[in-house]
Amino acid sequence: MPPSTLAADAGTLRLRRNTMLWALTAMALFLVSTLLGLFLRLFQGNAFPAVEPVWFYSSLTLHAIIMVGAWFLGSMAGVHYLLARYVQPSSTASELAMGGSVAGVVLIAISTLLGKFGVGWYFLFPLPLYPNGVWLPWATAVFFAGLAILAVFWLIWVLDLLRAIARRYSLSVALGWHILRGAKEPEVPPLVLITTVSLVVVTAALVAAALVLLLFLLHWSGRARVDALLMKNLTFLFGHIIVNITLYLGVAILYEMLPAFAGRPWKTSKLVAIAWNAVLLLVLFAYLHHLYMDFAQPRWVQVAGQTASYFLSLPAAAVTIFGVLALIYRSGFRWTMASRLLVCGVLGWVIGGIAAVIDATVAVNSVFHNTLWVPAHFHTYYLMGVVLMVLAFFDHLSRELTRPDTDVRAAGWTLVLLLAGGYGFLAMFYYGGATSVPRRFATYPEETLQGVIQARVAAAFVVVLFGTLAVYLSRVAARCLRAFADCRNAS
Amino acid sequence: MIPQYKALFAFLIITIAATATFHWVMRNTGNRKPLNPEAVSKLRGRFAITCTLLLVAALALTLPHFPYPRGSEIPDKVVFVAAKQFAFGLSEAPIANDAQWEAASQGPAVRIPANRLVEFRVTSLDVNHGFGVYSPGGTLLAQTQAMPGYVNRLRLRLRNPGRYPVLCMELCGMEHHSMRGVFEVIPADKD
Amino acid sequence: MTSARIAACLAAGLASLWGQSEVSPNQPPNEDLYLYHSVPDIAVQPVGKPATPLSGLWRDRPLLITMVFTRCAGVCYPFLRSLRAATELAAKPPSGYRVLVLSFDSRDTVSDMKAAASGIGAGADEDWIFATAAEESVRRLAEATGFWFRWDGEKRQFDHPAVLLAVKNGRLVRLFAGGRITAESLGSVLRDLDGGFVPSYPLADKTSFRCFQYNAATGGYSLDWGALLLVLPGTIAFLAALLTFRPWRRRGARAPFPAA
Ligand SMILES: [Cu+2]
Repeated sequence: MPPSTLAADAGTLRLRRNTMLWALTAMALFLVSTLLGLFLRLFQGNAFPAVEPVWFYSSLTLHAIIMVGAWFLGSMAGVHYLLARYVQPSSTASELAMGGSVAGVVLIAISTLLGKFGVGWYFLFPLPLYPNGVWLPWATAVFFAGLAILAVFWLIWVLDLLRAIARRYSLSVALGWHILRGAKEPEVPPLVLITTVSLVVVTAALVAAALVLLLFLLHWSGRARVDALLMKNLTFLFGHIIVNITLYLGVAILYEMLPAFAGRPWKTSKLVAIAWNAVLLLVLFAYLHHLYMDFAQPRWVQVAGQTASYFLSLPAAAVTIFGVLALIYRSGFRWTMASRLLVCGVLGWVIGGIAAVIDATVAVNSVFHNTLWVPAHFHTYYLMGVVLMVLAFFDHLSRELTRPDTDVRAAGWTLVLLLAGGYGFLAMFYYGGATSVPRRFATYPEETLQGVIQARVAAAFVVVLFGTLAVYLSRVAARCLRAFADCRNAS
Repeated sequence: MIPQYKALFAFLIITIAATATFHWVMRNTGNRKPLNPEAVSKLRGRFAITCTLLLVAALALTLPHFPYPRGSEIPDKVVFVAAKQFAFGLSEAPIANDAQWEAASQGPAVRIPANRLVEFRVTSLDVNHGFGVYSPGGTLLAQTQAMPGYVNRLRLRLRNPGRYPVLCMELCGMEHHSMRGVFEVIPADKD
Repeated sequence: MTSARIAACLAAGLASLWGQSEVSPNQPPNEDLYLYHSVPDIAVQPVGKPATPLSGLWRDRPLLITMVFTRCAGVCYPFLRSLRAATELAAKPPSGYRVLVLSFDSRDTVSDMKAAASGIGAGADEDWIFATAAEESVRRLAEATGFWFRWDGEKRQFDHPAVLLAVKNGRLVRLFAGGRITAESLGSVLRDLDGGFVPSYPLADKTSFRCFQYNAATGGYSLDWGALLLVLPGTIAFLAALLTFRPWRRRGARAPFPAA
């Protein structure tokens, strides 16, 4: 990575400036959405008996959309920046995505906060069409408009990154097929391989989202009666993949960043190539585990769902975990805040993955589906997984671009508080799932009153988490701002 | 032990093992030494095979325990369930319209003999809901989605008499958390 | 079908005339109301065999029961013929099954039933049993399964629906009402009798593009148009990747990377 800001050319400066802007945006959205999350847990802890539940559901919707969006974009920004080492992605596409995302998020915030549109972030058909006087039809329209804008502009960015890869690599090289055949040349970095796989899959997810919106419109206009089961399949094809791929983009960043700290190369071996090609095959079917409790899905589809979900964990997770451990073991590893976050992120991914595999078991899903176990597992690999990996990237890059003094000891405490707050908060979700507390309940009925105490304990941990994040992220943000300003002044 | 706790313990054991492994490796990242590539590749092979075998074993052990009804047993009773914002109507007679749903959701609780196989025929009259059957003590026993346009058949044999609450397991609107239903399991000899 | 409908309309007219407030007396019985109920074990007198309780017929294999009267000018014979044809087309479950054609008309004699049997070509079939039963027994069976019949003095005919009951171990597993039995609907009945079970079924409506279509004859699901919509995102993504990478382009045409 070129160290000096002054020596960089205009294209590099633009790339850095954009990346810093993305970092600032993602971190700001993250903090806002963490506060929303705190509000949700406090609400479930009966802290606001006078507030109507509608505020819970609309905040829930906004919280999830922001988290999914912020970290998809954050990881895209990281991948975009790192890809520029090998190919030339267009900064214009990234800027377009920035504009589109701001517009989309503003529209969604309006529809949820002003319009009280609270149907959950994946707006399961046909709930948005049943406002019951709680929200007005304009809120539905604005929400869908916001989503459509996000889908279109994200797709532009995704396709542009693919285009940039395609300019240098053929499809078979980008997917490492020559390595599968035993060839060593040409070399393809894992970053390129994983990103290619992820972007192709994300394209499918965004197309599915567009289809869902289209079918909603068809149904709304009365031109067709849309099948609820088909809509649910399409919804999770999109929803599951976008979350799943955010994780993989984070892993792509991991593959690119970690070798520098270990002083060892991490090349695309045959196993790595096999693993990510298997992901390409399996990831489109893993979403089926969201429909286990829809007995209307044929039995063989459910079997396929469990099988795909199980074996999806093998290539990506098992290969990567072993790779990480082998890479850092006795490597003279350079521990910085960024490298710590990376390794902790991998651990979070592992733990969330274990919980996910357990929940992807049909027999278990019968008592875990839509209990707090579900948010437990995805918050684990999100908050304690990909978020840490992408934050590692922001931390490292902003440090590299500004070269401040590093206070290693403070970083250690930050990490401890971050993990304590995070895992304490998660533990209450897991415990809630195991004690049958349903997810997405504004308040708890008498049968599951344990959820109230759990929510209060969780809220306390979120306060720790938020406090630590606020201090830590403001430091990173200050560096990002400085780097951003430097780049702008230099260009 | 309820299945939830079994799953939780399995999760904790694997998580602790994974965390311990990470911790050990993280403690041993210093004193740089080149690794023997052959030993690494051998270990990696073993790790991959172990993971695969574990997954295959888990698949073979759990796939036979699908919650979907199958088999030749004839249920002793059918209970019709219609979900609608924001209540479950349970009835021994089919529920086809809003009036029947209202009567069913406000009428007395359906009674089910203990230890008999009961088939719940679950559907929705509006949006997606989740038909989650809880024990009188508040443990989730089983569930199926209530999806408009479909009737899902959930079969249960409940041993203990008592009032069984039904909670909604799919976000269905502003009163989702207060949507409920109830049925009563009575000692078998009374029916 | 039409005659059944006319009969039903007539019955409805009569019912309203008499001011009866019974639950839809003109309708064929609703399967949901009688499902899994016990079938009374009445005694029947089969053609050419000693009298037997119904349990003697359902003990070792499932039993299909339909109720007719031999002087019927309406739905009975077309219904019986369609059932006969369907049994020849639909796959037989390994355990086999019996068909009981029971007269609900007390005027019908055993020889009337024998004539009816040869009339539809089932006289020599061991698995087809034509029988009569005592008036009171018939009424009990009818009440337990929602079947009804009323004498229409003007037409000198009974009004009644055409119904097929599927009984397993004395319990009503399926109830099929309609003017005609197709091989498909019989297939679904036989599958239920054989212990096959459909965990879910779609309600009849005008839904466009479903993912899966339940096939009653085979008991399996087939993919429907909606499934095409489900593979569309993956297909488009794949095509987008092909269009971006254009693998058919010659290798030399790929741009070299300046910094590489
Ligand atoms: Cu509900």
